[in-house]
Amino acid sequence: MRKHSGLLFMILLAFWTVLTGAVNWELTLVGAVTALLTVWFWQDLGPRLPRLPSARGLLRLGYALVLMVGWVIQANITVAKVLLFSRPAAKPIFLLMEPNLRTNWGRVLFATCITITPGSVTVDVDPETGRFIVHALNHEIGIDLLYWRLIDEIIALENTLADRTTLEARKGEKHGMVTGGTDCLGASGSVAGHHRPHRS
Amino acid sequence: MIKVLTNLCFCGSLLAFGLGTLGLYRFPDSYTRLHAVGMGDTLGVGLLGLGLMLLSPNWLLRLKLGGILLLFWLINPTMSHLVAKAGLLHGVKPAPGTKVRKG
Repeated sequence: MRKHSGLLFMILLAFWTVLTGAVNWELTLVGAVTALLTVWFWQDLGPRLPRLPSARGLLRLGYALVLMVGWVIQANITVAKVLLFSRPAAKPIFLLMEPNLRTNWGRVLFATCITITPGSVTVDVDPETGRFIVHALNHEIGIDLLYWRLIDEIIALENTLADRTTLEARKGEKHGMVTGGTDCLGASGSVAGHHRPHRS
Repeated sequence: MIKVLTNLCFCGSLLAFGLGTLGLYRFPDSYTRLHAVGMGDTLGVGLLGLGLMLLSPNWLLRLKLGGILLLFWLINPTMSHLVAKAGLLHGVKPAPGTKVRKG
């Protein structure tokens, strides 16, 4: 919890410093006070945030972000083609899908990635069942979503974090500590990821 | 060389925004129009930001632009999702012929 608050404070202060573009004590003081107030205001959010990823997790996240840029460009080209050459311009579908994501942050990440790629918008996500309602511009874009490689990347990220959580819990047990709140994101349970053909 | 790259970025951005605007007229309902607007919000803004970064005189300004882009790419999908969800909750009907498929 404290780790989260500290990290959030550092990020906010760094963002403030970059935006103001100057380092002097007055500005830094105002930034620090503002960052502290923001952290205090959002302190209840702490337990809901995912655990800090390991170096391996961060590398995997960076790799997924690089892939994401490529997918966004590809999706833009697809939508432009549909817009210019398809008659009628759109044959939209509502797609109900249940990707095997176990954590809430994984679902949020996936929903955001779906919406940021033009051609598909996440309309709703059921937090209980993990069912997504997605609006897609046409049938092909919808089917591509079902076999999107990103799902595997997020499942791998979830596993990396779950491994870390288990390790920390074991360390805690070894030292006789109580490690509560590690499963607040639903990190327990088996991985149900099956092999999918990758979205090119 | 930088000027050529910058101009290419700005032209690409203009194209993305132009196609997005065309989509507003061509697509049949609010849900599909969100996809068209998404083109300008992702590739359009991204290329504009990249072009401005190339023109920037110092790294601090580039870092600021990067931060703005990152915020934009986080806020934009959230807003699109909210618009679509509000539409569905308030009974905005999709275009005729819209199918429902279980994945």
